[in-house]
Amino acid sequence: MKARYYLKLVIFLFVFWILLSGRFEAKFLIYGVLTSLIASYVCMPLLMLKSADGKNEYFALDFPVWRLVLYCLWIFWQLITSNFALARAIVSPDLAINPRVVRFKVEMDNPMALTVLANSITLTPGTVTMNVTDDGIYEIHALTDDAADGIRAGDMQRRVARLFGQDETFVMLDGADSADNADRGEKGAAADGAGSAEGGMI
Amino acid sequence: MIDIREIIAVIMIALGILFLVISAVGMLRLPDFYSRLHASGNSETLGMMLMLLGFVVYEGANLISFKLIFIFLFVFIGNPIGTHILSKTAFKTGEPVWTKDKEGGGK
Amino acid sequence: MIKFVVILAVIVLITIIALMLGRALRGPTVFNRMNALGVISADTIILIVLFGYLDGRIDMYVDIAISYAILGFVGSIAIAKFLGGKKL
Repeated sequence: MKARYYLKLVIFLFVFWILLSGRFEAKFLIYGVLTSLIASYVCMPLLMLKSADGKNEYFALDFPVWRLVLYCLWIFWQLITSNFALARAIVSPDLAINPRVVRFKVEMDNPMALTVLANSITLTPGTVTMNVTDDGIYEIHALTDDAADGIRAGDMQRRVARLFGQDETFVMLDGADSADNADRGEKGAAADGAGSAEGGMI
Repeated sequence: MIDIREIIAVIMIALGILFLVISAVGMLRLPDFYSRLHASGNSETLGMMLMLLGFVVYEGANLISFKLIFIFLFVFIGNPIGTHILSKTAFKTGEPVWTKDKEGGGK
Repeated sequence: MIKFVVILAVIVLITIIALMLGRALRGPTVFNRMNALGVISADTIILIVLFGYLDGRIDMYVDIAISYAILGFVGSIAIAKFLGGKKL
């Protein structure tokens, strides 16, 4: 199992070496193999990620390649279509935005899946990930109504869960109903006087 | 002399310029820090990626376009991470969120 | 035709960088300034590639652009971590 991880990492680094050097003489190829081996040996402990409860261990680059490519194409398409909506909201004369904070919780175990989901949400226009806790609570800043509805529909969460073979359930959390996040809820949702008092300070 | 590849490259670069301009307009018009992150994080990424892809189409398949694709992938992965870490820092240090029902919450 | 578009892009990018510099000088909090600086560093990558095309030596300039992309990314994360302190 570990050998397969090493093989993947060495191939990845070696391709990167060839890209940057651009020469195919034997000397440079041997240098490339040697540096890839040393670099993968040094980096391997950094790429083994523990899950939040410390039970399972995942390799960071361990995902099905073709599904990742399909997912990237889908993300790219989402990026283009929803960027036009964002552009319309920004350029319109009365600035048709309605910012708010949306929170939800996912049950995924793999840290890489959490990272990919946070990155995808940030990349889709209209939503920016503000905070992710270890137990999978996401706090999202949504710029328009459509973006918030897109998060509520949960299409992206399901796709990421399927990509990594994780649990697909996710729960929407509203405002300050969970006790341990009440202090952030005040700041984030701006539901009461504290938000405006702080807002006046800048 | 004008071939189809050049036309595609020109269209992509022009679209990239358009999105970069929209991102700059958003940076100047939007009311608070988090909204500006939307402009800088998303429109900026798409504009850069379109311009790089335009150059890839123009260059064809050689080492330069592979390097350009590497920059493309790096922007695709790195730009959201930079945006996210900036918004996380701002959120944890208590930067207020502007909402519509509290006009003038932050200006 | 592509030369015309590239020169237009260079002019637009320099204008954007000037506007972002204004935002960085004016921006109310340190995060607005950081954001504007991030946009400037991203635009500079594109600007380097465009200058490479205008100079006719894009192979050399692309390497500089790669190193600039990595440097800008790492710098932005380092400053964000410095601002966040122990909380991050």
